[in-house]
Amino acid sequence: MAEESLAIGTDEWVAAHEGRTSGQVQGPVARTFGRLPWWVWGSIAVLVAVVLPLIGSTYLMRVGVNLGLFLMLALGLNLVVGYAGLLDIGYVAFYGLGAYGFAMLASDKFGVHLPTVVAVPVVVAAVSIFGLVLGLAARRLLGDYLAIVTLFFGQMFVEFALSGDAITVPGRAEQVDLTGGTNGITDVDRFSFLGVEFSSDRWYYYLLVVLVVLLALAVRRLDGSRIGRAWKAVGQDPLAAEAMTMPVNRLKIMAFVVGAGIAGLAGTVFAAVQRGVFPSSFDLPLLILLYAAVILGGSGSLKGALIGAALLSLLPEALREPSYSEMVFVLLLVAGLALAVRSWRDRIIVVVATVVFGFVMNLLFTLLHVQGVPASAWTSGPVSTLLGHWLFVPQDRVLWGNLGFVGLVVLLAVLTLVGTRVRPILLPAIVWLSIFVWFVRLADVPSITRQLLIGALLIVLMIVRPQGLFGRRQVEVL
Amino acid sequence: MELFVQQLVNGLTLGGVYALIALGYTLIYGVLQLLNFAHGEVYMVGAFTGFFVMVGLGGPGKPIVPVWLMIVAMFLAAMVVSGLLGVGIERFAYRPLRESTRIAPLISALGVSLFLQNAVLLLFGSRVRSYDTPRYWSGAGPQVAGVQVNPVRILVLVLAIILMVGLTRLVEKTAFGRGMRAVAYDRDAAVMMGIDVNKVIVLVFFVASALAGAAGVMVGLVFFNVNNYMGFLAGLKGFTAAVVGGIGSIPGAMLGGLLIGLIESFTTAYVSANFASVLSFLVLILVMLLKPRGLLGTRAIVKV
Amino acid sequence: MRAATKILVGMMASGMALAACAGGETPAATSTAPAMAGGSTSGTPCTGAIGVMAPITGGAAAIGGEQLNFAKLAVSDYNAKNGTNFSIVEGDTQLDAGQASTVAPQLVSNQAVIGVVGPAGSQEVESVGPAFADAKMAFVSPSATRTSLTSGAFPTFARVIPTDDVQGPTDADFMVSKLGAKKVVIVEEKTSYGAGLSSAVEKALKEKGVDVKRIQVSQKQPDYSSVVALVDADTSVVFATFQIAANTKALANTLQQQSKKAVVFGSDGSFSADFDVPGQYVSSFAPDIKGIPSSKAVADAYTAKYGEFGTFGPPTYVATQVIMTAAAKDCTGTADRAKTSSNVLGVSIPDSILGQPITFTDKGDVKDAKFFIFKIGDDRKPALVN
Repeated sequence: MAEESLAIGTDEWVAAHEGRTSGQVQGPVARTFGRLPWWVWGSIAVLVAVVLPLIGSTYLMRVGVNLGLFLMLALGLNLVVGYAGLLDIGYVAFYGLGAYGFAMLASDKFGVHLPTVVAVPVVVAAVSIFGLVLGLAARRLLGDYLAIVTLFFGQMFVEFALSGDAITVPGRAEQVDLTGGTNGITDVDRFSFLGVEFSSDRWYYYLLVVLVVLLALAVRRLDGSRIGRAWKAVGQDPLAAEAMTMPVNRLKIMAFVVGAGIAGLAGTVFAAVQRGVFPSSFDLPLLILLYAAVILGGSGSLKGALIGAALLSLLPEALREPSYSEMVFVLLLVAGLALAVRSWRDRIIVVVATVVFGFVMNLLFTLLHVQGVPASAWTSGPVSTLLGHWLFVPQDRVLWGNLGFVGLVVLLAVLTLVGTRVRPILLPAIVWLSIFVWFVRLADVPSITRQLLIGALLIVLMIVRPQGLFGRRQVEVL
Repeated sequence: MELFVQQLVNGLTLGGVYALIALGYTLIYGVLQLLNFAHGEVYMVGAFTGFFVMVGLGGPGKPIVPVWLMIVAMFLAAMVVSGLLGVGIERFAYRPLRESTRIAPLISALGVSLFLQNAVLLLFGSRVRSYDTPRYWSGAGPQVAGVQVNPVRILVLVLAIILMVGLTRLVEKTAFGRGMRAVAYDRDAAVMMGIDVNKVIVLVFFVASALAGAAGVMVGLVFFNVNNYMGFLAGLKGFTAAVVGGIGSIPGAMLGGLLIGLIESFTTAYVSANFASVLSFLVLILVMLLKPRGLLGTRAIVKV
Repeated sequence: MRAATKILVGMMASGMALAACAGGETPAATSTAPAMAGGSTSGTPCTGAIGVMAPITGGAAAIGGEQLNFAKLAVSDYNAKNGTNFSIVEGDTQLDAGQASTVAPQLVSNQAVIGVVGPAGSQEVESVGPAFADAKMAFVSPSATRTSLTSGAFPTFARVIPTDDVQGPTDADFMVSKLGAKKVVIVEEKTSYGAGLSSAVEKALKEKGVDVKRIQVSQKQPDYSSVVALVDADTSVVFATFQIAANTKALANTLQQQSKKAVVFGSDGSFSADFDVPGQYVSSFAPDIKGIPSSKAVADAYTAKYGEFGTFGPPTYVATQVIMTAAAKDCTGTADRAKTSSNVLGVSIPDSILGQPITFTDKGDVKDAKFFIFKIGDDRKPALVN
């Protein structure tokens, strides 16, 4: 870059800006990925994706399909939030509109069975129009207010889908059933292209691989294009963009439309894969997960959106099975320890201290005449079998687990308050308590633990690294 | 006519509760420009606290103290516990993010909300708890325009009004209130004027959360059921009320709360119970589009 | 930060790899001993995992938590009595048909799972039926009451409770003949449970010439005052098709607060210690299990460990028993999924804790299922009245 410019002094300093900042501002993960060009990583991912069905089971295909859909949504949301900076909290409604639209046009509900090549473009166009309408209505709203209006829009969609089976139309005696209410619309047609019907999840999986790759490539093209740069400008500072004569409102509306279209497309695939659509699939929990994925990856970064989405789509699945979830737990514990304590010497000290602390607690429990359970009752995988020789698990797991949980939260809060001198003293207790609470209580209720971990992840992520894995640290000039 | 009066009473009671929650949102937004999504869970914890105090005092079947004392205890306990919880959340989830981007505390708030909902589920189980007020407080109330008005609702409405009046006095007449308004107006200038911003923020969180805790007990007394997901829905409505009234404006939050309560009860009765929520949201979207700053929000001129 | 980077990257990579493997063979619960020729089950305890699909988290967690706990109790009781080695695999569906259709393939692909208890909701059953039929996975629901589910579309499905078509007429009949109702308001919960049952009751009532008004409410709604205001003075019964008994109680309390004459009749979803307002009625598909001597032991064991329970738990206990009985029948070490599903309809539990014998029709319904109606007395406990 700088070699070509002949300018001396200030200009040269400015020209070297990219080189100066990119290395330092990028996080460690981004640098690791940056070592190889993007298309190498992309090709590896695609290769893995293509080979997977040959060794996988039906469940794996379903996980893959869910992952593919989630990736599409993350890409779309990344465009709207990360690029154009529009806080759209109702984004999942477009997903729902796409799904319901396809269900209405290709199922027994109204007897309409449009062929896939007709139904899908029609639905995507319709959803994009919805995006246009919302964008038009909300173009003058800023930041928080846009968030609020889009939130209302999203909620209105869910409520309408829930109540849409009994719509009183003036002039008609009977109520109209448009959306099937809580029972949704079932018996949705499968996709079929050129006479070939998508008879199993594998077809949809491959379709999604193609779609995700195409979308990712398109977004990458967008990065360097005029529209992409314009969006980023609007996202970072709408006022400056306007001063630079960019048509801010039009750009915002375009972002809404494109985002809505992507979500709508994903929605049609979702409806066909599930063979049915239900209102509860498009509510806030999905939206929170989606936002968590985009933020985790670093909003505004394509790689970030993809990797964040992959992590948050796959890790909850890993948590379902106890012998795998315990490995996830161990990895999290190790990562946490590595981040909290820097030197290897200190880490070893903490581990040893934890082991000692564990034995001390065993003694305490015995002195208090607390009944324990044998290791075979709670161990399931290699990790727990190892720990079974060391960890004391009381019989009343719910009571002790709850006490431990409260104690752990309190200790973690205290940890952030005390100085660096005192911290190493607290750590062994915290590590032991984490292991205790996990195996005594949390591992038994994977559904609750999953939500707890996502919540904790969001909080810790914002405090430790708000820009996510691949994002740039943004400084807001207030 | 009877239906109208009944729905008016219902709407006002509901509105009073939403107003208290909305006030909490507005207070916090005022000083931190933060939409505290975890506020609903603070309200939920308040409701649970009141329930456990009631059970601890022998209720709802056999209270060991006079009923009025039990109710006072429930309110006090809920307000203190919720207040402290709010302060804790601010200290650990929001303060580290003071200098960060606008979106970071928002995401953190979402995380806190998710965490609290499920922590309560983990610790106390999924069973719906019932305040079962009629068991220890029965008896019909006074007649208003031919309609029997329940005394519990009257208490709740009166208490809500007292709290709102108290808050307004606090904000307008006391030194703390002045400090709060200063921080809301311009934080940096407030620091330069020697105001202890941290202390003000902590107190604001305490007050806002205490109000939410009180709202939780009120909901328990009037609507009976308490479970770990109630905070989410109520938080959404309270947040809506705060925004519609004009976020950052205290009278706006009260107006917004009452408005939402009345809209809900009247659409349920006169239009369709089915579509009450959809219509409420539609009305709100229209209000936001026509008056983006909310009904009583000020047209802020932002210096660029 | 270097070490942290490597650990972080390693964590992500292994996390993804683990999740990729998560669907395959689970080493955990499967006994690897080859099936012994001759089929003798002595010596090798019968091993298998039973999937439990229920709303373990989510808005209906009150139901799912109870169902899961009763399933766990059933497994430990059966293992203790028969020396088997069954275990439970959780499948949280949050009562959402969409989630159910994701959980189903996961259970199918987990080779250790030989049968499923659930799903809880009728809509969920519809969405997972085809997948389970293809996989020859037996699934027995403790709470899905939609009548059409046992019309033959789902060959591996069975349920241990009677259908809406039994409850509707029974309840309607009682309301008309014993309570003399001429005007009834049905407050319907916007879930697949509430919708189906409300239609069945409405139909039965209208056939008897009763004036019926139907109001829909959301399951999450805390405030019934607006709904109650719509109940007029000559309505004698408010029929509530709720799944959460505490909501029925709130409805009854609100009616009393507004001095309405109507009495509340709760469907089977309201049969629980949570609905204890004197003078109201509630129906159930079983006599109160706490009143059945042979079931008292189970009821007490549950209460000691988990607390109070309502209507959705005991049938889950029975459903789990059905699966285990079907699995253990030809078991030679490892239970077999296909054999379990073909044995299910032949299972007979003469003294189930529901106080009724459990045998199945060839479509999967319980034979001679009846509904019982209770009135809640001043002691806040239900007493049988029909």
